[in-house]
Amino acid sequence: MSRAERNFTLLLMAPAALFLLVFVAYPLLTLLRDSLYDVALMTPHQRVFIGLENFQRALTSSRVIDTAERTLRYTLIALTVEFTLGFLMALLFNHLGRRSELMRTLFLFPLMIPPIVAGLLWRFLLIDNFGIVNHILHFLGLLSAPSDIAWLGDRDIALYSVTLPDIWLTTSFVTLVLYTGLQNIPRELNEAARIDGASALQLFRHITLPLLRPVIAVVVIIRGIDAARAFDIIWVQTEGGPRFASEVLSMHIYRNMIRYGDVGFASAIATLFLLALLVLSLLAFFSIWRPVQGRRDS
Amino acid sequence: MSQRTLQPRRLLLYALMLFVLLLYLSPYAYLLLTSLKPPADAIAIPPRIIPETFSLDSYIGLSQNPGVSRAFLNSAVIGVLSTVLALLLAVPAAWAVVRNGSRPGRIFLLVALITRMVPYIAIAIPLFALMRNFHLIDSWFAVSLAHTTISLPLAIWLLAGFLEAIPPELEDAARVDGCSRLSALIRVIIPVTTGGILVTAIFCFLASWNEFLYALLLTSVKAKTAPIVIAEFKTQYGLDWGPMTAIGTLYSLPVILFSLFMQRRIVAGMTMGAVKG
Repeated sequence: MSRAERNFTLLLMAPAALFLLVFVAYPLLTLLRDSLYDVALMTPHQRVFIGLENFQRALTSSRVIDTAERTLRYTLIALTVEFTLGFLMALLFNHLGRRSELMRTLFLFPLMIPPIVAGLLWRFLLIDNFGIVNHILHFLGLLSAPSDIAWLGDRDIALYSVTLPDIWLTTSFVTLVLYTGLQNIPRELNEAARIDGASALQLFRHITLPLLRPVIAVVVIIRGIDAARAFDIIWVQTEGGPRFASEVLSMHIYRNMIRYGDVGFASAIATLFLLALLVLSLLAFFSIWRPVQGRRDS
Repeated sequence: MSQRTLQPRRLLLYALMLFVLLLYLSPYAYLLLTSLKPPADAIAIPPRIIPETFSLDSYIGLSQNPGVSRAFLNSAVIGVLSTVLALLLAVPAAWAVVRNGSRPGRIFLLVALITRMVPYIAIAIPLFALMRNFHLIDSWFAVSLAHTTISLPLAIWLLAGFLEAIPPELEDAARVDGCSRLSALIRVIIPVTTGGILVTAIFCFLASWNEFLYALLLTSVKAKTAPIVIAEFKTQYGLDWGPMTAIGTLYSLPVILFSLFMQRRIVAGMTMGAVKG
């Protein structure tokens, strides 16, 4: 490539790079710096350097640890259910082939619903005295009274209940991506294996799954990240309640900053959160994606 | 491919799936139906699925609330501003990335990918301080810039996919005809990619339209977006579920109808990044 060509390329990238530098990289550096200071929201210029004290506080705070654990649980529950249901639907659609077009269109519908509306809607569905879910369960004879389950009010189940809108919204996305991945698997491969006498299960294990691995990796990582940083969908249902039973990390960081005005502490937790998410995403990436590539090379 | 006719087993499967689908979509239908009940019926015990009487009272109530229309206007303006900004930045960048698959381009794509792994709250905290220093809190501008941090990486990825499909000969031909590199991009490449740019624009707009946390932190009164008003609605009016379902519908239905209209293109965009593998 000539020098002029190279300069032109760099010039085209410069505005976007500059934007990301100013509005992503610089803020992240500020976050790292602030995490080392005692600094309040209202008086940002009176800062005292305290080293790693904020981190020490964060790692020993039971509230932070509980919140981190809840975030992990929320993510794992949402991801497992979404992935299982989404994969099943994708396999069914794939099995039906072209004839599933109308159904696929319908199935994609929730994809476009804003998370805040999904949260609001499920809050409405799950209300204990006049919510439709409890009334249906009562009608089916599964509940003796419509107020028997306080989905969002019971500390023991609130965290599970708040995953429902997330699952409802994003199973579609999982299905869509996996279905497209399935469609991209060459037909001849399946047919050849079937002629060789492979059972449906063998076909799935030895052809479908390995070929789908990169797509699975992408789905798991994208959905995992989004579930881990969920905020609005839970906020609109419970605001983290009752008594923090559904409070996740993003919310706890937000509270530390806005309600308690403790920018330094909030920055330290956010830094830890950021690192954890990066490490987990990369781990997921390499453990799901990499192995198959290695095998293909050999 | 000999079994053209539906076998009984297939038919059963088909029926089963249709049932699952209807069940899957029913919550949204319930939202719509509830918004069309008289507000008092929305919280009746026991709840009715089909309204006894249809009424637009919940919507009329909303239309008399100036905060609601203001919030929708804010959301729309911020959505458009951040989409335009993201596209202006992303189109040249994506073209550069695709045009030479070399190192700077790949690094750029990687940076865009890593940006997606950052929790919003980690950027929101320092961004709040930054905007405050420039006295931009509670302005369209601040929220638009914040939303562009989400949509720009997304736009670069999507556009890179669309631009990759363009044969390099097209640019070469334009260059032979006397175009400069820049005018080849503007006069030849962009016009043949309008479809892809449109899809990218929709995704950027949706990212902004749905965004909550940045808007929550960066606005207080004037620039409040629709999701913030929706979230505050419950504390402000208690259990007023009639208007709440109405505002939820107003906020989501136009987007859904538009997406259904554009469905093929959107599906192409959504799966592209993930499935290329």
